Amino acid sequence: MESRIAALIGAAEGGDSAAAEALFGTLYSELHRMAKRELARQGAAISLSATTLLHEAYLDMAGRDGPSFPDRARFMGYAARVMRGLIIDHARERHAQKRGGLFEITSLDTQSMEAAVDHRELVQISEALDELGKVEPSLAELVDLKFFCGFTFTEIAVLRDVSERTVQRNWEKARIYLHRKIRADLSL
Amino acid sequence: MSTLTPEQWQSLSPYLDQALAMTADERAAWLASLGEQNPALAAQLAVLLDEHRVLAQEGFLERGPAALPSAPGLAGQTLGPYTLLSQIGQGGMGSVWLAERSDGRFERRVAVKFLNVALLGRGGEERFKREGSILGRLAHPNIAELADAGVSLSGQPYLVLEYVEGDPIDQYCDQRMLDVQARIRLFLDVTAAVAHAHANLIVHRDLKPSNVLVRTDGQVKLLDFGIAKLLEGDGEGGAATLLTLEAGRAMTPQYAAPEQLTGEAATTATDVYALGVLLYVLLTGQHPAGSGPHTPADLVKAIVDTEPTRPSDAVTSAKANAEVTTSNAARRTATPEKLRRLLRGDLDTIVAKALKKNPQERYASVTALADDLARYLRHEPISARPDIFAYRAAKFVRRNRTAVVLAALALVALIAGLTGTLIQARAARQQRDLAFRERDRASRITDFMTNMFKVSDPSEARGNSITARAILDKSSQQIDTSLAKDPEARAHMMYVMGEVYDSLGLVPQGKSLIARAAELQREVLGPEDPETLTSMSLMSVILLEEGHYAEAEQLQRQTLTVRNRVLGPEHPDTVRSMSRLAAVLTFQGRNEEAVKLERDAVAIDRRVLGPEHPETLLLTNSLVSYLWMGGEPEHYPEAEKLQREALAIERRVFGPEHPDTLNAMFNLATILRREGQYAESEKIFRETLSVESHVLGPEHSDTLNTRNSLAVLLTQQGRYNEAEELYLENRAIQRRVLGPANAYTADSTYNLACLAAIQGYRDKAMALLGEVVGHGLKPNTALHMEEDDDLKSLRRDPRFAALVAHAKKQAAAAQRPN
Repeated sequence: MESRIAALIGAAEGGDSAAAEALFGTLYSELHRMAKRELARQGAAISLSATTLLHEAYLDMAGRDGPSFPDRARFMGYAARVMRGLIIDHARERHAQKRGGLFEITSLDTQSMEAAVDHRELVQISEALDELGKVEPSLAELVDLKFFCGFTFTEIAVLRDVSERTVQRNWEKARIYLHRKIRADLSL
Repeated sequence: MSTLTPEQWQSLSPYLDQALAMTADERAAWLASLGEQNPALAAQLAVLLDEHRVLAQEGFLERGPAALPSAPGLAGQTLGPYTLLSQIGQGGMGSVWLAERSDGRFERRVAVKFLNVALLGRGGEERFKREGSILGRLAHPNIAELADAGVSLSGQPYLVLEYVEGDPIDQYCDQRMLDVQARIRLFLDVTAAVAHAHANLIVHRDLKPSNVLVRTDGQVKLLDFGIAKLLEGDGEGGAATLLTLEAGRAMTPQYAAPEQLTGEAATTATDVYALGVLLYVLLTGQHPAGSGPHTPADLVKAIVDTEPTRPSDAVTSAKANAEVTTSNAARRTATPEKLRRLLRGDLDTIVAKALKKNPQERYASVTALADDLARYLRHEPISARPDIFAYRAAKFVRRNRTAVVLAALALVALIAGLTGTLIQARAARQQRDLAFRERDRASRITDFMTNMFKVSDPSEARGNSITARAILDKSSQQIDTSLAKDPEARAHMMYVMGEVYDSLGLVPQGKSLIARAAELQREVLGPEDPETLTSMSLMSVILLEEGHYAEAEQLQRQTLTVRNRVLGPEHPDTVRSMSRLAAVLTFQGRNEEAVKLERDAVAIDRRVLGPEHPETLLLTNSLVSYLWMGGEPEHYPEAEKLQREALAIERRVFGPEHPDTLNAMFNLATILRREGQYAESEKIFRETLSVESHVLGPEHSDTLNTRNSLAVLLTQQGRYNEAEELYLENRAIQRRVLGPANAYTADSTYNLACLAAIQGYRDKAMALLGEVVGHGLKPNTALHMEEDDDLKSLRRDPRFAALVAHAKKQAAAAQRPN
């Protein structure tokens, strides 16, 4: 798969929807595979950070694909969007387990409960995000990076080569859009 | 709500960029000027910026989604004696599994917490086991028990913990809409657990709502004690803290103390800080750093540098969205304004002291924090406060004042009791001496107490709370030596302290000081000096309180005569003597004389001091009481008229929510009830009740008292079901606040018994009486049950006779010296 990702990105950006689908499919399975590999490597019961996973995926894939591989910022943008899907799928699965399972989830674990957002909410956010992606794609990508993948403002600023203030301002703008969109959908 | 079209969004987007880069003030000005040029645009922007405020309050998108999948297939595996059942959570520190014992020794579900190996640091395993065994000894009902700690075959360290099903404390409080007091009581359970751990030299280091769970039965359980410590390498505290922060991506530093963020060692003071944040959140619904959005950098800056907004300001802050402030307050069964009033003062001070940036300035221990909160709940002065002395004095007088107001209420209840004869009457009878104390003394006591506290040595008082009584005792011992050279001042001090003792109900101490003051003044200043006369006049009041009516009358007449001559007939002191003499006359049953004398006194004060003067209002109140006392219906219209006038003045001068105004409303309603003007009486009682519930709170004794009086009114009208509901409501509050065996709680039950007896439900009445006789009911009430007309339907019941005999036996036993 010689620079396959680069080719797919190029085609997708040129408006080739089949290429876009293929790009996301490839990234999805790639990230999924890596997540499993990491888990196996690190041993039981370790949770993964999406950020770490994306960084590793980049290194891994860029290493394989060679010098024509897209730059980090572009890659992360796509990969983060894929990661969103992965996370929502996972949340859905967990939800299904929970309902069919033996127990009610408790708030025993400290961080995960703070972090947990209901999968239906995630789907809502995701749908609003798709809308935003049509109006202002860079804002949508920012939300993928920040909210879904846990990148910090600093990391995103470095990635995009802009000031942290700009990133923060864009984040607030994106939040306004999404919040408004979700509320509007709910009030329909 | 309409969504924006892409075109609209694109045209607004650059303006949003501008607006979001501004401070709130700049933004307002900018929007205003934009509004002049393009009102439609400005309006749209304003809507979006409002939206931003709302979402910031909600913390929209601030929590990330759940983490990625962790390794499947652990379910069913065993770990020592435990079988893993299913994963119940995961996070930066590791994952948590529900498990049960598989060796059949006892059935119990536990939570197994795996810790991330990478976080454990150098030499981790050994230390992990060692620490784990220390934590295992931490036994406290409010701490989730650590049952075991170990390292799995694959090298993964794990903890086996008590499995707790519950909600984080903040959610628990919100869901149940607990009010501020209930929240504090729950919080005190948390402090008890932390204090216990501290006593065992274990610091929690990561206290936050998700680590403080409350089970459905209300039991508080703290999780993860010392786990942060487990993750810390030996001798590298700072680095480990950073590592912990970094490792747990989801772990925000929201509850971290400044020293944790600057890499200093975590101590018990660190937990005090985190408890301060927790208390802040429970009380206000907000974080001390203010409402979001926070970048981690902002948060760190807020924690390390910025003084937090006072809780009372935070709950009504103009910056906050009104909807959010209202709903936050509603979750605490209050309005924002009421919540502000509740938090202002003591709670602000307590929270501020727990949240001091410098660990040394915080409460010295968790116990000290808990003690202050307990004092707050008991309406006692708290220890935290820089200008401690004036504050204490104010607090003391406030409490004292409540007592005086209560006494006045009791007097009115007494009068009502002449026909109503429910329990309050008897309580009032016992307190009638109190009722005759003039309330103007409260303000004079203020002056004195303020001064006395001011002359005390601040260094002596710091740290532990001193009571007014302790100060009095100490000062009265020192009085002879410290003021040896100034007999006049010495006499004055004796007088003032005697007055304070007296108003605290410590009559013998008061009497001896007043006697010594009078003697000294007669000697130094002469028998006709105004100061000497002041002491004599007060001595007469004390004699009255002791029941020595003849002596009291003789002394007050003597004082009045001299004052008349020396100060003139219209001097306020002379008038006060008239009023005090009137009180003595009333107690001797010479009510008509008292009425005439008090009328004259009121007339002079009205003319000389004016109708709005506190002294005039005070004497008017007394006159109203005397007009009542005789039970002569021809006096009622005058009483009603005077009370209406006084109420109008107090409404205007003090405002509708002032305790004196409420007192006047209560009195007027009572008079109207007596006159049979039930409709207006009920209306005013209900109005009073509503203001009191709102201003003083639903649990305040005045509120309960008013509800009780309203119930009496309804009983008189035969509206028994409504009356019963009110009594039950009062009793539920009293049981919760005062406890089931408290005398006031018992009073409510007694009233319910009376109500049942009036309706002829003798079994019910007997059951209710049986509940309280010997279990909280004041012996005096129990002894006079036979004479209570409300219970007359029981008089031929042998069970009632037995109960009365039992009460008498108990009272006799109590009086016998052991």
